[in-house]
Amino acid sequence: MASIRPFYLTKYLRVIASTFEMTFRQTVKDAFILFAVLFQPLIIAMLALWMLKDKGGQYIIFVVIGSGMTGLWSSLLFISGNGITVERWMGTLESLVAAPTPIQVVVIGKNLANVLQSLGSMVVSYILVSFIFGYPLSIAQPWLFLISLIITVVSFVCFGIIIASLFILNPDVQRWQNGLEFPVYILCGFLFPIALLPGWTTPLSYLLTPYWAALALHASAQGTGTIANISFAWGVMLGYSILYLFLSKRLFRVILKKARVDATLSMH
Amino acid sequence: MNAIEVDNLRRIYRPVMGIFRRKVKEIVAVDDISFYVKPGELFGILGPNGAGKTTTVKILVTILIPTSGSARIQGFDVVREAEKVRPRIGFILGGERGLYWRLSGVDNLRYFASLYHVDPGISKSRIPYLMELVGLEDRGKEKVEGYSRGMKQRLHIARALLHDPDILFLDEPSIGLDPIGAREVREVVRNLQAEKKTILLTTHYMFEADALCQRIAVINHGKIVALDTPEALKEVVKDLHIIEVEVFGIPSEVIERLQAKGFIENLAVENVEQRQVLLIQTARGSEAVPDILAILNGLRVGKISVREPTLEDAYVRLVGNKGE
Repeated sequence: MASIRPFYLTKYLRVIASTFEMTFRQTVKDAFILFAVLFQPLIIAMLALWMLKDKGGQYIIFVVIGSGMTGLWSSLLFISGNGITVERWMGTLESLVAAPTPIQVVVIGKNLANVLQSLGSMVVSYILVSFIFGYPLSIAQPWLFLISLIITVVSFVCFGIIIASLFILNPDVQRWQNGLEFPVYILCGFLFPIALLPGWTTPLSYLLTPYWAALALHASAQGTGTIANISFAWGVMLGYSILYLFLSKRLFRVILKKARVDATLSMH
Repeated sequence: MNAIEVDNLRRIYRPVMGIFRRKVKEIVAVDDISFYVKPGELFGILGPNGAGKTTTVKILVTILIPTSGSARIQGFDVVREAEKVRPRIGFILGGERGLYWRLSGVDNLRYFASLYHVDPGISKSRIPYLMELVGLEDRGKEKVEGYSRGMKQRLHIARALLHDPDILFLDEPSIGLDPIGAREVREVVRNLQAEKKTILLTTHYMFEADALCQRIAVINHGKIVALDTPEALKEVVKDLHIIEVEVFGIPSEVIERLQAKGFIENLAVENVEQRQVLLIQTARGSEAVPDILAILNGLRVGKISVREPTLEDAYVRLVGNKGE
């Protein structure tokens, strides 16, 4: 992606914008997406609130951010992960592949729509906690939180490209989708700190970009982090994003070649 | 330079069969075909279902890789230089799928225009023009899920023309359409031909190929069995006459007895409601009628007619579906 000339960049940005709009308009009324983005995080937030209500104070904002992140991850796993597969089911994948735009650009636009839509999870959790349960909520470091949120969106979009490509490359991986949902909630410290987990799981957490997103968002919201450790999390997220983009370019080249050889771009 | 060049193209599918004992079956879809299409020509590929038409088109539009052989579009190889081929071509693959049904027709076109890097200023005027060209100007804002099959097919054509490509691949553009819808699609194809677009059209409708194409490749079991102008293809059967005999409930033994007769070059059976129509190709013309009636003795026979051969009869002879 680094070799893209400005001429192409404008065209690709236009494709990302139109894919974003198209995806948003198609999914905004989708019942499954409404469940993944709104209802499931709401249920998780209620459960967590009941379990952690005695802890009070900053734990409440931890629940809001954490339950919001569960919606973000579920959306990424199920909606972005299936993004290409759904195109195949609809019979549009052949048209996308035969267009002059690289398919990863389309996937970026789709993921961006999904990730921004799933930020609604946090808004829902916030409304539940502050208006329904009546807890006073405030973000301790709003600017750091905002930057963390933007970098989280970028890193989730890039992580989604890798997930989508792996799911096309090996349909068996797609069958693990349900199994991948909760381990990431736990390993990434969405709803409780990973310090509570056995030590051997910590390196696994470090390999996952949602862990660094959760770290930066929790720390800036609660005011428990320093600029140094929050910006370190940003750096890791951006580093992973560049790595994912680089990998995705190669992965998609392999995948599309294989699909064109095996004739699997369409359903027969 | 030719617009399309195909050399010794071959494509084999290898589907895996079975669950425990997995077997790989080989299906030769396209078997060593070669042809070229001149700029501005409307070239047809005619063949029965499963003959290899769609596979050929999918290779040419860069969504399938051939097992061997090569193909070039305006000199660019469809495998090695796919990214140079893609902006130069437009295509439709037969059927209703391949559109975003929850979006309107216009929104579908807007989206594909961005994928083809059509300047937003140009697409603003081009989309209404194309919607009018395919007769959808009044339905453009409706969701595609409410479109009829013919409307979806026409929207596909508009999509293929968004970036004003030089070369168009139309894979069975009128398949499944009612006669009026099919006629409208053919009218659109004629208009495109008038614009000097190079068009490769596949069809299994003889009338369509005859009415539209300048040259036709007849393909069967993946091989080209004839390639010429429609008029020249009809020459294949110029010495023959076609006897059409309407019968009711003809047993297969009687068909076999007819086929065994030396004076019958080809025999096709069409089922029309309760009756069967025998299409018999013979050099003897009306003289053969008494011999045919002798074999059909005891059966209820309806209308009998003798006529001159058409492209369809040439096709039947070339494809050789004797008795099918």
